[in-house]
Amino acid sequence: METLPPTPQTEYEAEVKLGPDGLARVVLRGRLSARTVVDCWDTLERRLRGAGVKTLEVDVSGVDFCGGAGFALLRYLNMGRMTPGAAVSVVGLAEGFQRIFEGFTSQDYDAFHPQPQKRSHPLVEEAGHATGQLLGDLRDQMDFLGSVAANFPPSLISPKRMRWPEVRHVFELAGANAVPIVSLVSLLLGFIIAFESAQRLAEFGAQIYVANTITVVMVREMGPLMTAILLAGRSASAFAAEIGTMKVNEELNALETLGLSPVRFLVVPRLMAGVMVAPLLTCYSILMGVVGGALVMLGLGFSLRLILHQMASSVRLEDLAVGISKGVVFGIIVSGVGCWRGLQTEQGPSAVGLSTTRAVVTSLLLIIVADACFSTISYFLK
Amino acid sequence: MMNEPDDIVISVKNLSLGYGERVILEKINFQVKRGEVFVILGESGCGKSTLMKTMIGLNPPQSGEVWIEGGDLVAAQSDERLRLLRKFGVMYQSGALFGSMTVLENVRLPLDEFTDLPEPLKELVALAKLKMVGLGSAVNKMPSELSGGMQKRAAIARAMVMDPGILFLDEPSAGLDPITSAGIDLLVSGLSHHLGITFVIVSHELASIYAIADRVIMVDCQSRGIIAQGKAADLRDAAADPWVHRFFNREADASHSIQPT
Repeated sequence: METLPPTPQTEYEAEVKLGPDGLARVVLRGRLSARTVVDCWDTLERRLRGAGVKTLEVDVSGVDFCGGAGFALLRYLNMGRMTPGAAVSVVGLAEGFQRIFEGFTSQDYDAFHPQPQKRSHPLVEEAGHATGQLLGDLRDQMDFLGSVAANFPPSLISPKRMRWPEVRHVFELAGANAVPIVSLVSLLLGFIIAFESAQRLAEFGAQIYVANTITVVMVREMGPLMTAILLAGRSASAFAAEIGTMKVNEELNALETLGLSPVRFLVVPRLMAGVMVAPLLTCYSILMGVVGGALVMLGLGFSLRLILHQMASSVRLEDLAVGISKGVVFGIIVSGVGCWRGLQTEQGPSAVGLSTTRAVVTSLLLIIVADACFSTISYFLK
Repeated sequence: MMNEPDDIVISVKNLSLGYGERVILEKINFQVKRGEVFVILGESGCGKSTLMKTMIGLNPPQSGEVWIEGGDLVAAQSDERLRLLRKFGVMYQSGALFGSMTVLENVRLPLDEFTDLPEPLKELVALAKLKMVGLGSAVNKMPSELSGGMQKRAAIARAMVMDPGILFLDEPSAGLDPITSAGIDLLVSGLSHHLGITFVIVSHELASIYAIADRVIMVDCQSRGIIAQGKAADLRDAAADPWVHRFFNREADASHSIQPT
């Protein structure tokens, strides 16, 4: 086997001789590794650049070891980059080194050197691109809705078509496992609303109405909204990541070729679990928020009986219906958007992360839009 | 430091490895000589890749030592470990190129992180390595735009950009067409011959092994050890162990065949 010369541990030496008529000679000795080349570069830059060199000879007969950085330095000198316009020759390379040195020429550099790419686009082009993406997104959304509409009712009618073990699994992951975080957030939310309203109502001597405030706010608004936000963060992202990873791994293609619809197989169970879990978690969130508010009121000196009476008198069945309806709609949004964004995943290492982010952002946006619609409709129906 | 002969670059001593309580390979011993192409082979799931991961320090062994260029990688800590890691480069089965960077950026990343070389030299080093693996014209492409063979070539360029003396390759020919696979074999032979790089390759592609391997070891699930070692052609023609003979001659297990009724 042909091997390179041995690699002694000596450092390098660089000797620069500048002669008359722009003649220059550089003698390199020792070891040209990534470490020594840095010093060598500084020395040569200082001595050669701007010295008016017209002919340069680089003698490397004393070089014992030449790594990739050493060859790069020799090629850089040889291309005249340090001595523009000069004729540069590299002499004295050992046979093995010579072959490697000739393996990458200045022509190769000119051919492969990456040209700076123009990254900015005209505003009109950007706007057109964004509009195209938006329209494509809408078309995708319609396709998805149509597919869900075609698959969901038959799965409900025929229990055999619904993958109940998957529904139970998702229900546990998205619902039961979310109970601790929903408890904590809702309880603290109840605390916050109660303390904030207590300060204002105290000015009118109406602190007893803290019970009314907390109940109405939690039942109609904050219970469903906080639950939906938590579900978007936990479950929409999880659905998008799971389905997205399956798409990247070609598992969705495998489903298609087995004759199974990914929507029926993956989306319908998640949608079903989402529709069931969101209203239940909403009710639980309302309960925990009200408990938080009641604890504050107990601390303010009100009796439990009085608090419960105020709470019961302030909320109507209609309010509860609105809260639970919001829970159902938000559940559909969260699980639907999570699955949709997962199915939209493209190829590449950042694709799943992008889908997950999109799932959370789109869910939150649609939740707020749906909430605004609820408020508007309930105002006009009053 | 250990006193090994100068031509020994890797010495694996009494190495036992596995996951948790599960032992995959036990009391493995072998040495790799400077400049040779050394192939680890065995049936799927017998621990070839786990052995390689242990040799490169990714997977702590249950016991034993892995000496690389005079240092025990298993026992090495912080600076000594970093020093030993610089001695070798690794190409993973998938290439493991960073998807958000171009091919050139992938290859020059170690230079950016570990050297103070001036920018023009970093670019020249990376371009020269890419030319060496035949990817000069793909420097501006993203990894997702490359074929499987090109990704593996780019990964080899990245692995050798810091001039390591040893390259570990995990399944370099897996999933490639015969022409691309032969191209990788040529590259390995060329780098070994001209640059004196030592290769440790995990593979079970027999055609490739016959073409490039100087020496092979074969690990086995049942005995959890090395059941054969030597030159691939010798093992094919004169292996004493019937399992080794069947492996090197691609003879199927009769129990796997489907009998027509």
